[in-house]
Amino acid sequence: MQRSAIVVIIPLLLLLATGEASAHALLDHAEPRVGNAVATAPREVTLWFTQKLEPAFSSITVTNSAGQRVDAGKTRVSGNQMSVSLRSGGAGTYRVNWRVLSVDTHRTDGSFTFRVGQ
Amino acid sequence: MDWLGAAIDGPLVAIRAMHFSSTAITAGALIFQAMVAEPALRSTPEATTVLRQQIRLVASIGFAIAAATGVVWFQLQAAAISGLPFGEAMTSDVLSTVLNETQFGLVSKVRLVLAVILATCLAYDRSAQARWLALGSALGFIAAIAWTGHAGSTLGELGNLHLAADALHLIAAAAWIGGLVPLALLLAPRRRNQDFAWASLARDTAQRFSTLGIVSVGTLLVTGIVNAWILVGSIHALIVTGYGQLLLVKLVVFAIMLGFAATNRFWLTPRLASWSENEPQLEALHQLTRNSVTEIALGLTIFAIVGVLGTLHPAIHLM
Repeated sequence: MQRSAIVVIIPLLLLLATGEASAHALLDHAEPRVGNAVATAPREVTLWFTQKLEPAFSSITVTNSAGQRVDAGKTRVSGNQMSVSLRSGGAGTYRVNWRVLSVDTHRTDGSFTFRVGQ
Repeated sequence: MDWLGAAIDGPLVAIRAMHFSSTAITAGALIFQAMVAEPALRSTPEATTVLRQQIRLVASIGFAIAAATGVVWFQLQAAAISGLPFGEAMTSDVLSTVLNETQFGLVSKVRLVLAVILATCLAYDRSAQARWLALGSALGFIAAIAWTGHAGSTLGELGNLHLAADALHLIAAAAWIGGLVPLALLLAPRRRNQDFAWASLARDTAQRFSTLGIVSVGTLLVTGIVNAWILVGSIHALIVTGYGQLLLVKLVVFAIMLGFAATNRFWLTPRLASWSENEPQLEALHQLTRNSVTEIALGLTIFAIVGVLGTLHPAIHLM
């Protein structure tokens, strides 16, 4: 059985050598668009992902240039899309922080900015 | 953008591999019973009790491991979902949120119901109806795993195709790899002194299993291509991404398994046909048993790879 032991062990070694791992749902696009400028503060921010999301473990927070929270708190999730309403936070750079759990049980997070009125 | 849990989650990968393997052996033993053993027993009814007991033993041991690893999988997955250390995540709050508010939790509940039905059928295995119900619940128990993985979160119509392909892929893998376990037990030459027409039963089951194997391999190829097309998308992605490379390793192991299966089918099984009391083709039988055990080991390697693949990012989203 030595030959068969080798054909079992080699793939296992290769498997261990392939040490790349990551999570799953990626940000596909957003509205307002990532890094773009808009004339007036939007009423809400919407993000689209590459996979379906779990509402219980997915959320967005938005801060304005002064670092104050300007999102209304409750994130709405539907399929691969989630959005949050915004309060007026004036002009400047807004930062959107998101964290999601995709339906295949993997967590991802990230952030991006957009500019208002500049 | 940073990745949470950027390292391979060792315990989760290991428990997934163990759960997939034991679930496949359970379902595979029951598929073997329905498609191979029961039809073969029609011409060798004196072997019925022994063979059914053997299959039931394989299915029961497989199921006991699947049940235990299934519970641990849920706990590890709940901890991973919550982002908390394992000890802190084991609260009723976290567990009930995962159980009641995620697709993984819903699938876990459905599989729990199927597991209870399966356990009952295995415990009270008295009638043909109980055996068919056991088979049905075992098929559901393994196919439902598709809804916990990448296929469960693929968007739109493609998601339905992906789920169907993945569920069939799981069942076909169980039929082949899981079915090999009762086959190897039956072929083990120590059984040659049984007082029934063992040689004819061995030949008949080997031939029937070959047919089941061909159907399984065909299904694995077609559904595997569908899955790879959805999750990898291109030859380039297959070669340059970690996911694609690991999938290639899986394909190499699959090809080696196919080599053994072809040897069994086209070389060793026909040699059993010339079996008679005076001319035992023991060498062919030994080789067939050895090959089956090697195939099982290779199959378990594939489940280990699958345990990792499900935790990696599909190549298609990295390209």
